[in-house]
Amino acid sequence: MPAPYPVSLAGEELWLLPEKALYWPAQQTLMVADVHFGKAAAYRSLGQPVPHGTTASNIAVLDGLLASLPCRQLIFLGDFLHGPGSHAPGTLKALFSWRERHQHLAMTLIRGNHDKRAGDPPPALNIRVVPEPLLLGPFAVQHEPDPHPSRHVLAGHVHPVYHLSGKGRQRLRLACFRLASDISLLPAFGAFTGGHRVEQDNDCRIFVIGDNEIWPIS
Amino acid sequence: MATSSNFANQWFSARGWKPFAFQKQVWAAVKRGESGLLHANTGAGKTYAVWFAALNRFARPAPPPDKPRKRKPVAEPLTVLWITPMRALAADTGKALEAPLAELQIPWSVGLRTGDTSANERARQGRRLPTALITTPESLTLMLARADAQTAASTLRMVVVDEWHELLGNKRGVQLQLALARLRRWHPQLIVWGVSATLGNQSHAEQVLIPQGNGISVQGANGKALRVDTLLPPALERFPWAGHIGLKMLPQVVAEIDASSSCLVFTNTRAQSEIWYQAILQARPDWAGLIALHHSSLSRETRDWVEQALKEGQLKAVVCTSSLDLGVDFLPVERVLQIGSAKGVARLMQRAGRSGHAPGRTSRVTLVPTHSLELIEAAAAQDAVAQRRIEPRESPHKPLDVLVQHLVSMALGGGFLPDELFEEVRGAWAYRDLNEAEWSWALAFVRHGGLSLTAYPDYRRVEPDEHGVWRVPDARLARRHRMSIGTIVSDASLQLKFWSKGGGGKTLGSVEEGFIARLRPGDGFLFAGRLLELVRVEDMTAYVRRSQAKKAAVPRWNGGRMPLSSELAAAVVARLSEAAAGRFDGPEMSAVQPLLSTQQRWSGLPTQETLLAESLKSREGWHLFLYPFAGRQVHLGLASLLAWRVSQQQPVTFSIAVNDYGLELLSATALDWTQHLGPELLSADHLLADVLASLNAGELALRRFREIARIAGLVFAGYPGAPKSTRQVQASSGLFFQVFKQYDADNLLLAQAGEEVLREELDIRRLEQTLERLNTLKLDLHTIKRPTPLGFPLLVERFRESMSSEKLADRIRRMVSELEKTADRGDA
Repeated sequence: MPAPYPVSLAGEELWLLPEKALYWPAQQTLMVADVHFGKAAAYRSLGQPVPHGTTASNIAVLDGLLASLPCRQLIFLGDFLHGPGSHAPGTLKALFSWRERHQHLAMTLIRGNHDKRAGDPPPALNIRVVPEPLLLGPFAVQHEPDPHPSRHVLAGHVHPVYHLSGKGRQRLRLACFRLASDISLLPAFGAFTGGHRVEQDNDCRIFVIGDNEIWPIS
Repeated sequence: MATSSNFANQWFSARGWKPFAFQKQVWAAVKRGESGLLHANTGAGKTYAVWFAALNRFARPAPPPDKPRKRKPVAEPLTVLWITPMRALAADTGKALEAPLAELQIPWSVGLRTGDTSANERARQGRRLPTALITTPESLTLMLARADAQTAASTLRMVVVDEWHELLGNKRGVQLQLALARLRRWHPQLIVWGVSATLGNQSHAEQVLIPQGNGISVQGANGKALRVDTLLPPALERFPWAGHIGLKMLPQVVAEIDASSSCLVFTNTRAQSEIWYQAILQARPDWAGLIALHHSSLSRETRDWVEQALKEGQLKAVVCTSSLDLGVDFLPVERVLQIGSAKGVARLMQRAGRSGHAPGRTSRVTLVPTHSLELIEAAAAQDAVAQRRIEPRESPHKPLDVLVQHLVSMALGGGFLPDELFEEVRGAWAYRDLNEAEWSWALAFVRHGGLSLTAYPDYRRVEPDEHGVWRVPDARLARRHRMSIGTIVSDASLQLKFWSKGGGGKTLGSVEEGFIARLRPGDGFLFAGRLLELVRVEDMTAYVRRSQAKKAAVPRWNGGRMPLSSELAAAVVARLSEAAAGRFDGPEMSAVQPLLSTQQRWSGLPTQETLLAESLKSREGWHLFLYPFAGRQVHLGLASLLAWRVSQQQPVTFSIAVNDYGLELLSATALDWTQHLGPELLSADHLLADVLASLNAGELALRRFREIARIAGLVFAGYPGAPKSTRQVQASSGLFFQVFKQYDADNLLLAQAGEEVLREELDIRRLEQTLERLNTLKLDLHTIKRPTPLGFPLLVERFRESMSSEKLADRIRRMVSELEKTADRGDA
């Protein structure tokens, strides 16, 4: 597994993972945002031919993470399922068999805007579904990046990407973590998701993801 | 039968007119039941040539009424389909076709059906079609996608395709080819006539329209005298750059407009037309109401008003884009100004032809250079027009995206049997050599989303029913397909309306979503010649109000940029060769002489015998400038090819800029071009393999995929008032491209994207010819200390491609460390 990148946030050590996930070693907690399971299936059900393989690839990455990190719980920061059409037999079957392989792991979904339309995952998946915010230590774990009066917000929803530019008019567009003093953003985890450009300002630190590494931008 | 052929004579002799020879030829041919192509420019009586041919053959005078009737007698059923490439032309054509009917007592009706046709009118046509229906290729396909299409078209006898040259070379033309194939299957005796402006390859134009052969070719009246001249700038800039709006020429342009009674000012982009309109109005506030703006994003109402006012001679000038290139004769127009390069000989001649319509008058176009190098182009354009070196146009070759769309349309139009439809489709010129494998793939694509091996679950668009007839089972999908029929791809666009309480105000037109997304409420921008500010965006509509702001953005519409044609480029190099030999003929070349002398002193001039190259080390990195003069598309292909070949020798990342004259390769790491640039790099060997490889390394195929994805129904662009749920399936084509590449790399649409980049974007044949030509030239490489007049426009070009053979990690590492250095300097 590629090297995690430890950072300190709200007095806690967190690991930024190049798999576009966040790990909290002290709590043995893995967090991922915006998986959008079944997005390809939702497209297909509306008559748009999208190849399959994105669900399997999302699951494979999660499996890799769970195999290499000691995990007590897995938290989805919203948008677990993409839409009503995502409850497709193929997608659900893959999810059930994945859940079976990790029977004893506690899983929590913080309901995001897509989950509200898609509906909660089937109870048989055994995922606890809660509204935002989920309070954990110094953190308010949410889907939407709204400020919280007393906690540091960890959020998804934005799908942040950063435009890195350099000499010779070179440019790269890379998924990133954006850590700030009050609200920090996780990259979108899903294999079939786009991105929204974020800028760096004085208040925040950007960590781009490329070639299986985390790169801090000064 | 004896009375059947005299409508034309009746009408002409009543007016004391004498038919032209070409008109008589068309009448005679149609009388014999022949199809053909008429080459004639606008305003030369071409409409009457074809229309009276149809009337003579198919119309009968109305029988005298036995007794006075209260109601109008019912018109004859659908007999003639008249296809026009532009909705804007439909109304005028309609009036022209209707004109003789009443006087000649022909019981025919004329109707329009385009995207602008009202729901009422459409419903009326649904019950009974007019005798002659004027429509666009898209609306025709839409009609064929109705379940009762065959019945509705059962009385059809003749199809006329107006302005065929506008359709021949693009996918809209292919869509029409497919529709004609269907009509021909229903009516083997169908008479098809095309009307086309002069082209460099007329026999091809005829073959594509009438693929079964036996078409005849009729040459219209010879074009009138044509004059091309140039407005010379008072001062010459030594460092011209492209993208220049050309406003330095404003005082002279205003003076020209002032001196003529009615003037068309052509610009190359919609944004440029907005800026020029505003600038002219600021220079002459007294012309408010006398000048107008016309481009394709303005609302239909506005455009109609402008066209009407122009015809009635009420306008002093109209600033316009190619939206006024076609059709409609504006008799009062006296002068035509062309701001910036016209890019092609045919286009320049067409625009010139918009002036001096009255018999005996000369058509005149005046070129307004927006930068100094366009002076050379102006001189070259005069040469090329004088020699009538008109560009050819060619039909696309079996585009699968159009085929896939057609299959769904035909499944809707009563369903289809695959074997039958295969034969029919192969009857269209573009698909004459479509093979079984491609056909099976297209069928599998509309059924499963891919070949059966990789069948996508949950997906169904078209399916055979219990009788083996392929149909669209889902009404929702059927509706959505009808919404997206067409091959013109534009970005998602928003309606623009004035804000008013309790509901939308007047519609102004449409802008691309991407532009509005960058604005915040309160930000100002220029549209329809007005300064507006954004109020809010909701339901695919941007609401605006008038603004007093000083600063305003100008919308950018992502229309394709026309490349300089080979014909015009060759004429430019010929002029440069003369300049290198010290000859500067004509006012344009004299004016540009100082600039060319600087170019020659600092570096060299490109000629018909030499290939000029320049290498430069700047703060940005290591540059190579190369000037093949082959048009921007070929330069893009050539630049990708060179970049890829060099990158195989060492890991390197290039930023690529191109224009119509040359290309630039820029690398952030050291590169010695005197070592690399030579015959090997420019070799035509392994061209296809190398270009394909360079495509995979670059981003070009992705961009092309955008269009293909839309036509094939992968990406749904949405429509005004669409329910929110459709937003959920609006992923960007870029995302689709990545997912396809990763999870279904054999998808033929991907292959098509690659092929189309090769053929259309990069024009591989022209690239090959260019390489062969370059190899006969002597390489003239200069190491320069500063950018030259030819190099400068490339240096400042902001729209760039990139190509890399470096590891991603190495690129990130370098950029991150550069940022750190900058930050350190900032801290110190």
